[in-house]
Amino acid sequence: MEHFLGLFAQYLVNGLETGSLYALIALGYTLVYGILEMLNFAHGDVFMVGGFLGAGVAGVLVSQSGVALLPAPLVVLLMMVVAMAGAGLLGVGIERFAYRPLRNANRLAPLITAVGVSLLLESVVQVQVSPAPVTVRSDPLIPLTVLRLGGITVPPSSLLLFVVAIALMAALDRFIFATRFGSAMRATAQDREAATFMGIDVDRIIVVTFLIGSALAGMGGVLYGLQFATVNFFMGYLLGIKAFTAAVIGGIGNVRGAMAGGLVLGVLENLGGGFVSTAFQDSFAFLALILVLMLRPQGLFGQAQADRA
Amino acid sequence: MIPVSRPAEPEEPVHSLQRLWRGGPAAWNAALTLPQVLIPFFLLAATAPFITQYFVDNYGWTGGEFWVRILTTCAMYACLALALNLVVGYAGLLNLGFIAFFAIGSYAYALVASDQLNHHFALLPALATVVLVSIGFALLVGVPALRLRGDYLAILTLAFGLIMRELTLDLDRPPTLFGHQFGPDGLNITGGTEGIHLVDPFRLPQWVPLVHGVGLQSRTYYWIFLGFLAVIVFTLLRWRHTRTGRAWIAIREDELAARAMGVNVFKYRLLAFGASSVAAGITGMIDAAYIHNAFPGNYDIQQTVLVFIMIILGGLGSIPGAIIGAVLVTVLPFLLQQLVLYKYVVFSLLLILVMIFRPEGLLGTVSIRPRASLGGTVELLTAEPETPPDASIPTLGESAAELEAATGAIVEPPPPEQQ
Repeated sequence: MEHFLGLFAQYLVNGLETGSLYALIALGYTLVYGILEMLNFAHGDVFMVGGFLGAGVAGVLVSQSGVALLPAPLVVLLMMVVAMAGAGLLGVGIERFAYRPLRNANRLAPLITAVGVSLLLESVVQVQVSPAPVTVRSDPLIPLTVLRLGGITVPPSSLLLFVVAIALMAALDRFIFATRFGSAMRATAQDREAATFMGIDVDRIIVVTFLIGSALAGMGGVLYGLQFATVNFFMGYLLGIKAFTAAVIGGIGNVRGAMAGGLVLGVLENLGGGFVSTAFQDSFAFLALILVLMLRPQGLFGQAQADRA
Repeated sequence: MIPVSRPAEPEEPVHSLQRLWRGGPAAWNAALTLPQVLIPFFLLAATAPFITQYFVDNYGWTGGEFWVRILTTCAMYACLALALNLVVGYAGLLNLGFIAFFAIGSYAYALVASDQLNHHFALLPALATVVLVSIGFALLVGVPALRLRGDYLAILTLAFGLIMRELTLDLDRPPTLFGHQFGPDGLNITGGTEGIHLVDPFRLPQWVPLVHGVGLQSRTYYWIFLGFLAVIVFTLLRWRHTRTGRAWIAIREDELAARAMGVNVFKYRLLAFGASSVAAGITGMIDAAYIHNAFPGNYDIQQTVLVFIMIILGGLGSIPGAIIGAVLVTVLPFLLQQLVLYKYVVFSLLLILVMIFRPEGLLGTVSIRPRASLGGTVELLTAEPETPPDASIPTLGESAAELEAATGAIVEPPPPEQQ
């Protein structure tokens, strides 16, 4: 029993780590969906590009012998800034060139375009950067000694991931619920036309939404790179779908729901992988998605809406 | 009679081809699906291996067998494109797990026709197995998925595709759930990342001409794919005149209105989903027999996107469009060798550009351009006025002039360059 509880606690902690990454990316899906009612398929690949940007900065600032040219915290900070800025701009560019021309088309058109953008980002990185996984030189940046809390082990990179993700989510939550711009965003999400009548510049709201969501994904990419010490062109695909699953679990369009959904999904997946079957760990996430869509399409925390299902 | 100001009637173009050109995609589509066009097309396509062989023998073309292989790939993708077109273009369902059904057909055939499980079914029982398994999976996914709205359906089918992928990769050992192992120790169903090798080729009876001999592998399967393609095309064309075809078009045009007219939307969507899955499954079966294996790398998401590009390029809802799209997307990388590396870069760009600038594709009859709000019906595919289903295809006896008169009368608005 003691053994079981120890394992349970460890899986729970692991789940919160992966879950906070899912939550960070899920926010991008849910913000865009909330305002445009479109599923931004390319979001997972923006996360991937963020990871590559972080890896690039680490590759420049860490010498071949594994010595950081600048103090380690500064390097990590630079990775984050570059990745967030790059991913944020990428997101804005995607919106401007691929989605905006189709904004008033029916639902299917932007969805297909988004699939195209996703494949485009993946194949450009594959052809131009690297078809093989790229190592992130994280060893001189993050201490490798594992922290022990009772029987639970936590690597520092996971702790960083968790802390940064929670901090960003708290900041975003304040931004959306306590600032003027945030209330304009919420108004746009509720009713785009009415928001226009109230003098809200909807185009600007949409651009900022893409900027924030993509920057968060870029940060997610850096944190992923630091934790797993490797990035590849394909990583945004699976993780993107899982993050979308998290957004659906939390009720798509619901910001706090996406955060909670990410954590729930991470824990669920780790418990399932740990106790039920390691081989089918990924399938648990998708089974959860299918069950939520079937039984509670408005999400665990969403309100029922007649047209949502 | 009260004089009504009307736009001047466009002058009748003199030449019939000219009139056809003015008719726009709907008329081109109707013309290309005429029996007097389709039958020669299939006959010509069937002789294509001999034609390339002739050029290889007499004009020093290099490649030999390679040409037939390209033809075979084209025919296979044309089958897949038509299957996907049925579910996306006809029924308006974005099935992103489409390639999983291709994989299901391949694996189902590989399992009953290889040493993997030591079964070697004959052709017809194997075909029946593939069809039944495809229907089973289509029901398994379709029944829950089709109750959802468009983009949820897309994500659910995508998730299904990923689960299938994980199953094919992990079922090379007995599954273990809650520490309990299901099945004996050496159980290997799907072959994991290796896939299933040495899948039986089709054993055709001896009386079939031209297919028995060394090195005729590709040619034989080319004809099989082509034959299956003809079956799909014929079925789709016949279907458009039936209650089912009209229901599909009604649902695609305006789901709410279709519901109000008493169309059982769920039933007809499920039918489209199932028929598409079965067609993809049979294509997968032929492919597994052709390449002798079922290999998981052949069924990744990029394949789904590739088939999507084919039907969007060719035009959603168009039968000739899907075939043209499949041939273009298959042949282009072969013609432009430099393109091979950048294949997906180019095609994804193409997909985005087509969606933005000409969302109806080359021959599409379904438009997904922006349109004025009609109040409340924001579901899925919406279409501009197009050929009513019962007038879209004339019967064999009708002359071309009658056809053009018919299509000319219903294609609207009148061509703008007629001022």
